[in-house]
Amino acid sequence: MNIRHLSRRGFLNMGAAAGAGLILPKTGLIRPARAQTALPPVAEADAKISFAYVGPTADEGWTWAHDQGRQAVEAAFPELTTTYVENLPYSADASRILRRMVGEGANMVFVNSNYGDFLYDVADRAPDVAFYECDGRTTLPNMGTYYVQHWYPSYIAGVAAGLMSETGKLGYVASFPVPSVYSGTNAFLMGARTVKPDATLQAIVINSWFDPQAAAQAGTALIDNGADVLFGIMDEAAYLQVAEARGVKAVMWNTDIRRYGPEAYISSIVVDFGAWYVEQVRRRLAGEWTPTEDILPLGQGVDRDAWGQSVPTEVAAQADAVREQMLGGWTPFVGEMKDNTGTIRVPAGHTMTERELYEWNWSIEGVTGVDG
Amino acid sequence: MRLKLQRLHSAPPWKAFAARVLSVLLALAVTALMMAMAGIDPIDLAAQVLSATFGSSFGLEDLGLLFSPLLFTGLAVAVGLRIGAWNIGAEGQFNIGALCAAGIALFVPGPDWALLPAMIAAGALGGALWILVPTLARAYADVSELITTLLLNFVALLLVYYVATGPWLDPSGRALATTARLPVRLPEVWGIVHWGLPIALGLAVVLAVIFSVTRWGYEVRMAGSNAGSARYAGMPVRRHLIAVMLLSGALAGLGGVMEVAGTVGRLQGGISNNYGYLGIMVAVLARAAPLGVIASAFLMAVILNGGIVMQTQGLTTNTVLAMTGLILLFAAIGDELAHYRLRRLEGRN
Amino acid sequence: MTDIRQRLGLDAGAPPLVALHGIDKVFPGVIANKNVSLEVFPGEIHALLGENGAGKSTLMNVLTGIYQPEAGEIHVGGYARVFTAPQDAIAAGIGMVHQHFKLVKAFTVAENVHLGWADTPARIHRSVLEQRTADLSHKLGLAVDPGATVDDLSTGEQQRVEILRVLSRDAKVLILDEPTAVLTPAEAQELFVALRAFVARGNAVIFISHKLDEVLEIADRITILRQGRKVATEWAEACTERSLAQKMVGREIVLSDMRTRTEGVAGPGAPVLTLDGVTLKGRLTDVSLQLRAGEILGVAGVAGNGQRELCQVLTGLATPDKGRVLLDGDDIAPLGPRKVAALGVGHIPEDRLGSGLAPALSVTDNTVLREYRQPPVSRGPWYMPRAARALAEKIAAIAEVMVPDFAMPVRNLSGGNQQRLVARREMRIASRVLVAAYPSRGLDVGAINTMMRYFTELRDQGVAVVLVSEELEELLNLSDRIAVMFHGQIMGVVEGEQADIDEIGLMMGGQRGPQAEVAA
Repeated sequence: MNIRHLSRRGFLNMGAAAGAGLILPKTGLIRPARAQTALPPVAEADAKISFAYVGPTADEGWTWAHDQGRQAVEAAFPELTTTYVENLPYSADASRILRRMVGEGANMVFVNSNYGDFLYDVADRAPDVAFYECDGRTTLPNMGTYYVQHWYPSYIAGVAAGLMSETGKLGYVASFPVPSVYSGTNAFLMGARTVKPDATLQAIVINSWFDPQAAAQAGTALIDNGADVLFGIMDEAAYLQVAEARGVKAVMWNTDIRRYGPEAYISSIVVDFGAWYVEQVRRRLAGEWTPTEDILPLGQGVDRDAWGQSVPTEVAAQADAVREQMLGGWTPFVGEMKDNTGTIRVPAGHTMTERELYEWNWSIEGVTGVDG
Repeated sequence: MRLKLQRLHSAPPWKAFAARVLSVLLALAVTALMMAMAGIDPIDLAAQVLSATFGSSFGLEDLGLLFSPLLFTGLAVAVGLRIGAWNIGAEGQFNIGALCAAGIALFVPGPDWALLPAMIAAGALGGALWILVPTLARAYADVSELITTLLLNFVALLLVYYVATGPWLDPSGRALATTARLPVRLPEVWGIVHWGLPIALGLAVVLAVIFSVTRWGYEVRMAGSNAGSARYAGMPVRRHLIAVMLLSGALAGLGGVMEVAGTVGRLQGGISNNYGYLGIMVAVLARAAPLGVIASAFLMAVILNGGIVMQTQGLTTNTVLAMTGLILLFAAIGDELAHYRLRRLEGRN
Repeated sequence: MTDIRQRLGLDAGAPPLVALHGIDKVFPGVIANKNVSLEVFPGEIHALLGENGAGKSTLMNVLTGIYQPEAGEIHVGGYARVFTAPQDAIAAGIGMVHQHFKLVKAFTVAENVHLGWADTPARIHRSVLEQRTADLSHKLGLAVDPGATVDDLSTGEQQRVEILRVLSRDAKVLILDEPTAVLTPAEAQELFVALRAFVARGNAVIFISHKLDEVLEIADRITILRQGRKVATEWAEACTERSLAQKMVGREIVLSDMRTRTEGVAGPGAPVLTLDGVTLKGRLTDVSLQLRAGEILGVAGVAGNGQRELCQVLTGLATPDKGRVLLDGDDIAPLGPRKVAALGVGHIPEDRLGSGLAPALSVTDNTVLREYRQPPVSRGPWYMPRAARALAEKIAAIAEVMVPDFAMPVRNLSGGNQQRLVARREMRIASRVLVAAYPSRGLDVGAINTMMRYFTELRDQGVAVVLVSEELEELLNLSDRIAVMFHGQIMGVVEGEQADIDEIGLMMGGQRGPQAEVAA
């Protein structure tokens, strides 16, 4: 009963937000249409902020980066307590663990990946707790979403990759056929094609965000198929090591992990959630918190990493010039754009909104392997 | 005077039961000891587990949601054991049951009252179908069902992954690796506990009745205990084997239906959550008795729920796995020890 | 018995090879052995005689380290020893051949002999193992084919492999548990020759049996156990079958012609069951037989010559490839065992625990096996546990079996009691025919007598009884006619009264005798 009810309400909220035209593409910060009543303030000493992580904090990747954010919160508010759970399973157990967090008195819960209904079921029954779902697309009166505009740095890295690739074949180690992967592959290939117009990208889906063995196998297979620059969306460094061993290049995600493949390393899509986490906790403590839908923009939470040692200066300069344009407000995601079946998906003259980029679920011409 | 151990040919039931209880307590004690050595206060943790599980309606509801699938898979394995078949494939049948039910819910239009029974039927049928090949291989070619059912688990798991992230992926784009939310849901009976639980409990009772007071149950008992004597009495041993194994698959499939239509609400990879494998343990602890499954599934649910508490305390789920493993180990040892009794001897030396 | 060493030609102070002193062994609720003492000297074959459940096997399991006694001592070569495991006993030179062979059927003879043996070469090669086995076989005077797979061997040959296996471990004391139960008379004689040769080398044999004649034939001394206690140890020549039987059962047993009907009971009547040219895929060839109401038809033959298949065809367990099985004129061949049983054909199977009973199930479940489909045990699809229990109690009472707990597994009953329950269960449904395969196998004299009484009782009621047995004496005592089987064929049918053991023996070896008349 209440589950269906909830889902309908969540849907209506979304529609209202979109309909009110309050999704502002360039700031990435989206405010809900209706002014919510803010949750009451919490004394810092009484506050408990909980984090549920999709992976282990020691992954040197996505979860590690989020845990840096948690430590930033602890540093900014020394009196409150934070707790975290690693390896939150993508199953009904996620609901149980999140419910348990609520039961242990959490005032605010951040979940650093998309858990869908497993999270909404809990949030719906805990109206006095603030929730955030990373990479989420649903909001509730007490739950917002957050993510990063990674398509911009992916495009920049794509320019560098296109300049450094000799075969024009790019490889991509994909987790699931989800929007992050669509926007990542598409942006990367679009960047590469600005300098190498006949470049193509092949992806292999391995059904996991963290599976070094499968990622290494996928990387090997891609290289065997002729790819000489690898990209991917993994929480670890396995395919970078493969690239290093096979003498090809790689673009990574999350953090600076060049030491696993110094020669192969081009750059990484690095994320920094610290400032954003601190701000949300501040709002919660101060009694100002209402749910938001935040997609952190280039330079304010997501960026390219410092270029790798094997990246020639002129390549870095050419890619960074694109970055400067983007910081100045330019976007490459403008129609006309076709999908890989030739159908026009973005009409000429239309600029894709951040929301559209965030929900990208089709591959552009030249990308294979994401949608089977 | 000296003490002497003596082995009995068969363990008296009360002793076997006591050995079961003791093995569980011992496993808990060993886990507590290991935790204490790792610097965690086991008493405090146990108190938290108990209060988190039994101290609130949230905890009890969570317990109910864990209890239900364990009952289905436990019954599935237990039923197979009644005729001497090890259904290691409950995990796969559970997945296929969920897949079939989700398929009906997503793609067949109709009112809830018609769809729910159709989903249940489809799920049970799917589970039975998934064990059909191992069943026929065992019945006609004497191929061990242990391996065949196990291998089909991986096929089922990958099939569900493929379907949920591929052709059946939620078209709204808001769910990343699942199907859309099923438009039909199993109604709740209490809080978030849905009808799966009372149905499972009812099935356990019905199965207990079938195995003890029906002619069919008697024949299955005979065929499972000694196929030679069943054949001698003219019982259709092969037909019973096929029927019981298909029933086993159907029960596991039903578990999948309840999980997808009651607890999760969408089809996704990994929906079985290891319930199929845990069902083996549930059935073994219950000595394949349907009513015993109720007790052992409940125990397992409490342990799994305890695992949730441990995880929020920063302990890994491996602790729970280790504990369940210990219980099984001690139960096996206890089974053997129940055959012994201690005697005092007025010895001459 | 003071001159025992002298009689065996030993030094006055020579210690026994093995000795048991005051052995007590208790199982819950049962005293298996109480204060049993036994001495076995080099060069003797020592028989251990007793009814089923008299404690023979338990005593030997104590001697071989399988059980630990509650009291008493084991001496080997004059020194006290404690065996905590069978390996200890083997190391001390005590080896046992069990009733149920412990061979790996898929392995060859050579492989079985070398299995789990410290002397087995580290690098095993087929030809090496077979050569070693052939040498052993020659040395110990036990002819075996080293390269043969055990599964292909007859039970007699398997037993030889088992004995070879035990003797190869340098056993000085060989314990044989009912060794002749599975052998033909000729095979038994071969075994006896080998055993005599073995003890002549200064070794000893303990021979467990309940067959009076063979004990008298083979043993030097005989120890009789009754109800867990030793009754006596006697020189064999000082005993007669009658005296031994008396000591075994504590009462006098009369073995006699049981063919004579009591006053007013008719002799064999009209044909009931007819086999007409029955052939079963290489196991039975053109078997024709006729059973008459009120007669006992004995089936003689060395085990494995088609008796099992004959019983299966008679009871519907096997469908013949050719020929007909007529019960009162109707062909029952395709009906299957359930319908055949329902028509009044009972079956005491050869292998009680393998097919007649489910050992792990309760006494009740097993006792109602033939009547669970009918009221009062079944009502429609329902099985009534209370009615089943009542029927089981009734059958147990008729069978004179004391059952402490009807819910306990039937394997907890002694072999004799199991057989009585099965027999009574089958007699209840055998309104036309009873097929009894080796009903006395493994039973003691008292239980055998009960069994035979059952059969004459049925016969007198006009039931046709088929008695398959390897005990010629039993067949001669009971049968109105005796059919002899060889290689799946009936070699001949002789009248019981005129039967001659030598003639039957010839037919068992493959010579044709008088043929049975077959009604078309």
